[in-house]
Amino acid sequence: MRSVLVTGATTPLGERLVRSLIADTRVSHVLAVGKEPPDRALPFSHEQRLTYVQVDLTKSRQVRDLLFGVARDRSVEVVVHLSQHRSARDRGHKVHQANVEALRSILDLSDRHPTIRRVVVRSFSVVYRVSMDLPVLVTEDHPLNLDPRAPQYVRDRVEADLTACTRMGLTNAEIVVLRCAEALGPGMGSQLFDYLASPVALRPAGFDPMVNVATVADLVSAVEAATHGSGEGVFNIPGADTLPLSEACRKWGCVSFPMPGPLVAPVYGLRHRLTGSEFSYGLNRKTMHFGFVLDGTRAGEVLGYRPSHPVDWPVGGVVRMGA
Amino acid sequence: MPFPPRVASVLSSVFGGPSVRDRAHRLHFADAGHGFDQFGMHPDFVAVGDTIGSPLYDRYFRVKSYGAENIPKTGAAILAANHSGSLPVDGAMLWVDVYRRTDPPRTARPVADHFVTALPVVSTLFARCGVVGGSRGNARALLESGELLMIFPEGVPGIGKLFKDRYHLQEWRVGHCELAIRHRAPVVPVGIVGAEEQMPQLAKIPVPKSLPIPYIPITATPLPLPVRYHIHYGAPLRFDLEYTPDDADDPEKVHAAAQRVKAEVQKLLEKGLSMREGIFR
Repeated sequence: MRSVLVTGATTPLGERLVRSLIADTRVSHVLAVGKEPPDRALPFSHEQRLTYVQVDLTKSRQVRDLLFGVARDRSVEVVVHLSQHRSARDRGHKVHQANVEALRSILDLSDRHPTIRRVVVRSFSVVYRVSMDLPVLVTEDHPLNLDPRAPQYVRDRVEADLTACTRMGLTNAEIVVLRCAEALGPGMGSQLFDYLASPVALRPAGFDPMVNVATVADLVSAVEAATHGSGEGVFNIPGADTLPLSEACRKWGCVSFPMPGPLVAPVYGLRHRLTGSEFSYGLNRKTMHFGFVLDGTRAGEVLGYRPSHPVDWPVGGVVRMGA
Repeated sequence: MPFPPRVASVLSSVFGGPSVRDRAHRLHFADAGHGFDQFGMHPDFVAVGDTIGSPLYDRYFRVKSYGAENIPKTGAAILAANHSGSLPVDGAMLWVDVYRRTDPPRTARPVADHFVTALPVVSTLFARCGVVGGSRGNARALLESGELLMIFPEGVPGIGKLFKDRYHLQEWRVGHCELAIRHRAPVVPVGIVGAEEQMPQLAKIPVPKSLPIPYIPITATPLPLPVRYHIHYGAPLRFDLEYTPDDADDPEKVHAAAQRVKAEVQKLLEKGLSMREGIFR
């Protein structure tokens, strides 16, 4: 029976994970952490198996008080770190603290914590470099995107990922990094979801790359598998749907409209200024040209994770009948 | 994608006929869940490729092939062929030939140079027909899933060779043998006779690296000539009987294996040149 601490518990993924862990008989207690006040945090409660704590993870003192206070009292063995700033357009010191420094604090403190034995870190497929000379099927040893011109959204995620990876084997706690495919859903910080949310989705003419899409349910099962597993390492977490970008648009119900490549960025820039949409073409330019599919073989072999929850495409049935 | 799979299905049905559709239906491939494999290949587009390639294969280049029984019916294998002709028509004809002469049909997965994956439209259509970018990771993934790779070890220098250098194999890269040894895949040497004369190349103009093409060819003809293609398949070379997978890290052994493949391809070319009665016959 393990006691589990979940950061980012009020995000859609965190909520689903907490709900699932409460129902898991192998888990004795769930310590849910979020920055929202308790009365607005989770839409469910469980007196015996769930404790919610409001913590600002960008403040190291609060993190220390959390881990060496209630987490120690609850004998937390596993920390699942899901908290990340979700907007791709926000930047600055505060965002960096949320994305990187919070994780650094957790890892530092876990090393000398009396009960924490395992830290599971949710990372992102965006940490990988995409290029025409790199494989479509991306394994864990694929080059990372270390481009200094990359947006902070990417640089922070790469730094957080590497911060966790460089401590593997050097701390008392086992560290597991899950590089997850984008999950389609509101509040997931998915650029692809924002891209598909528009009635007309633009893409550079002549290109139709393969994309891999996950669901919240699959990510929850991957995190659960990592929570209960043993050993450490980096694992790709792909979704069950691998398809061309234009097919994803069609199944999602939006029109995929090809236009000359150099025009796509200005149009999306204008759209952002007019509507405030999150999608950034600059961030996704390479993945809209070259295929990028996570290879989940290692996660399957070590964690026993296999994607089994395909996306419930809104117009998938219509498309299949049409085909 | 220029058009969705259902349009591809209609196109191949209308212009290719039932035999093309039947071949596409019998094609075994690793569906990643939506009718495409992880690299983007789709049977309906393979049928379109078959439909487009057939008039060229049957009537324009009038392809004759010899030794197709040497192509393994199942499992990972590598076809290693000479490359020439200014345009990669030899790759297309070899692709059609393998697809037609294997039963159940197999699609050879051509391994293209990186610049091909950056070409608009072409990259997408090629990917739908099974072409993959030339990276070690792509080749490894395909061999691990038992696919048939089509590799031209001469690479771009082969397709860009001048007319005076025809049938002289250019620098022979060794990556295909490293893959073959590591993955215990047989290598089938292939000699393609005819392509080296299809579009005589006189010179090439270098282009800036920022452009997505390696050079601009100056050819004697604006379009390929209707030469006859002769495709010769040699007996598979079983490096797995001589080497262990760890030998893939030994440069000398890999180089020796590549030289054997090159010698076999050269032999097939000489045999093919002696057998043919003329460039157009």
